[in-house]
Amino acid sequence: MIKSLILDAAYFLNTSKKYQSFKNFFYNILENDKCKYKRYIDIFMILLIFISVGVLIREVKHHVNDYLMFFSNYVISIIFFIEYMLRLWVNSSVSEIIVKRAEHDTFLLREVNLYKAFKEIAKVKLSYMASPKAIIDLLAILPFFHELRLLRIFILFRVFKLFRYAKSLQILSSVLATKKFEFFTLGIFAFVVIFISSVLIYVMEGNRADSPVDTLFEALYWAIVTISTVGYGDIVPVTSEGRFVSIIVIIAGIAVLAFTTSLFVSAFTEKLEEIKEIKTIENIAKLKKFYLICGYENVAREVARKLSKSGHNIIVLDEDTQRVENAKLDGYTTLNYNPGNKESYEKLNIDMKKQLKGVLCLRENDVDNVYAALTIRSLNKDVMILSLLNNDANRNKLEFVGINKIVYPQELVGLITKELVGKPVAFEVIHELRSEDSDVIIDEIGITKRIVENFPTVGDLNNKHYSIVLLGVYKHEKDRFYFNPLDSTLLEAGDYLLVIGYQVYIKEFEKYLHTRVHDD
Amino acid sequence: MTKTTALIFGHNKYAYEIIKNVKDKYNSIKVYSLDDNDKKEGLYDVELFDLSDEWEDIENNVDIENSIAFCALEDPSENIFLTISLRSSFKNLTIITIASNKENSDKLKMAGATKVIPIVETTSDIIANVLEKPVSNKVLHSILYEESDLKIAQIKIDDTSHFKDEKLKSIDWTRYNGILVLSVMHEDMQSEFIYSNKAKEHVIKSGDILVIVGYEKDIQEFENLIGSKRYVNWSHWSR
Repeated sequence: MIKSLILDAAYFLNTSKKYQSFKNFFYNILENDKCKYKRYIDIFMILLIFISVGVLIREVKHHVNDYLMFFSNYVISIIFFIEYMLRLWVNSSVSEIIVKRAEHDTFLLREVNLYKAFKEIAKVKLSYMASPKAIIDLLAILPFFHELRLLRIFILFRVFKLFRYAKSLQILSSVLATKKFEFFTLGIFAFVVIFISSVLIYVMEGNRADSPVDTLFEALYWAIVTISTVGYGDIVPVTSEGRFVSIIVIIAGIAVLAFTTSLFVSAFTEKLEEIKEIKTIENIAKLKKFYLICGYENVAREVARKLSKSGHNIIVLDEDTQRVENAKLDGYTTLNYNPGNKESYEKLNIDMKKQLKGVLCLRENDVDNVYAALTIRSLNKDVMILSLLNNDANRNKLEFVGINKIVYPQELVGLITKELVGKPVAFEVIHELRSEDSDVIIDEIGITKRIVENFPTVGDLNNKHYSIVLLGVYKHEKDRFYFNPLDSTLLEAGDYLLVIGYQVYIKEFEKYLHTRVHDD
Repeated sequence: MTKTTALIFGHNKYAYEIIKNVKDKYNSIKVYSLDDNDKKEGLYDVELFDLSDEWEDIENNVDIENSIAFCALEDPSENIFLTISLRSSFKNLTIITIASNKENSDKLKMAGATKVIPIVETTSDIIANVLEKPVSNKVLHSILYEESDLKIAQIKIDDTSHFKDEKLKSIDWTRYNGILVLSVMHEDMQSEFIYSNKAKEHVIKSGDILVIVGYEKDIQEFENLIGSKRYVNWSHWSR
């Protein structure tokens, strides 16, 4: 009876969408770095930790407000306890283990053995509870029993909880973890030296009346102070034998210190690139909108410069180390990832739909451009992809993979020459309008509902007053351009005005369009 | 004055695209290559040339005065050498040349090219325009490359023009509905945007060039109204 109840409950929980999404929510805010709310939870927890420590320090010599004391001892402990229990809950799924066991036994035509399932649950949960982070969490709850004065010191364990919430501390521990074996060797070496030297000094000086070394603990204290090269000088050997031991410990101390420093330095040097990369990816995740440039060669370099000058964010991906270096030197956020590799985008961890303004495949090699575009298309169907075409014979391949805009430099040169030889002056004027360094530019102003309310027709715009040429109106819905429109032409929200004029005048004109209110 | 012969130096994709776009504008197209193999493979009749040429062959067969040269060699140094070589032999020849980057572009200008098309700059300009100003890019592209009926034209003011000796700002442009005047190029070859203060005060002289945009019919009407015609003169490009 109980067994079937347990099984029913396990199946229910395992298949309940509501329960799973509820659990998933808690998992995300506690464990998932990608979850935006986790940041706030982390900051809140860090705040609680500092309040606890602050109260502990204040309490040493001053009276602490009773409410604050209550908050530190009970409220924070309860919050940490809830957090501990939630982590224990989301860490693994009890219902899933029971369901798996039930499925397994049913498949083998056996009676469902719940004992084994519970054993597995206990194993999984205990292994979590035995993890260093979970132990720290548990210890951080102990100040709850503050009547036991000694347990107050466990407040300091709350500081260790910072490792959970601060990413930089996690990176630090992960860096040091890479040198686990070396640190272990160093620890053994230091332990042996301390052990032998403390015993030796105790044997040499313990029975001398003029020696400050009276107990084995004092000998141990002296050994540690000496090996660390701190040398307080409060316990000094008086016998020649004792001083000889000192010499050995001092030399060993230098070795231990040098070894420790080199370990730290080498661990960080080896991991530096990785740390930088993690930081870069974190920064990219914070960007709202950016262009992704795949491949950093001549055209890409110029495009990046122009877009960046206009205030766009640029992220460069390239598999070539030298090109990555060039992009970094030019000041762009760059990752040494292969743009044609799906894994690169998984590592990049971005929301293509929300964050990407567009992808620019600008390698001077069609194969690489097609490969990168295909990879991106397989991940997102809608993102705008622009690609450079280097050989016209490959045009259909680029079209096939769904590239939205293809730019073929050779064709451009042809078109330009055609215009150049026909209307050189006119060409120069248009070229000037497009040039980034020119004072006179062509610009497009989007028509909003508010603008339409104030300026229903072209005649109302009064552009001549601002010394602006209105080249025409582009009706987005009809995909039609109305050149030099009549004053009576109606404006609609979503239209674009194409204007030519001095940049400052255009800005003024745009400001006027957006700020004017009805003056009936 | 209109040139009659186009001399294309180079046998590559750039050269093909240039030929494709300018072949209707010239009576004859002559393609020159450095590589003997191009003679057999090419779509066009290819003649061989040598960078150390004294250009006697070309001089004897082509009316250089009425020719325009396109230097489209892929090797930048060869292209520069070719430009210098042509310029040293033909002082008044119009030379249009391609450049891979800004540095080469500067060198080619020093070498005497009339006009340099920097490929990387131009391509990146187009890409940046497509992304930042898609609508204006689309419209300008169709105007420039004649994909629509809308055209850009340059009209030279001559002695018989009604506009001669008038102040730009005193002209009632509404009478010329259908066209927009973008810019005026003064006789001293300084181009001014039509709404700049300097241009507004400018008194139109014979020799000035107006850059206008409009539909073909309206441009023709404009030509008739002001009594001036469309005009192309390469001498407006100073070297």
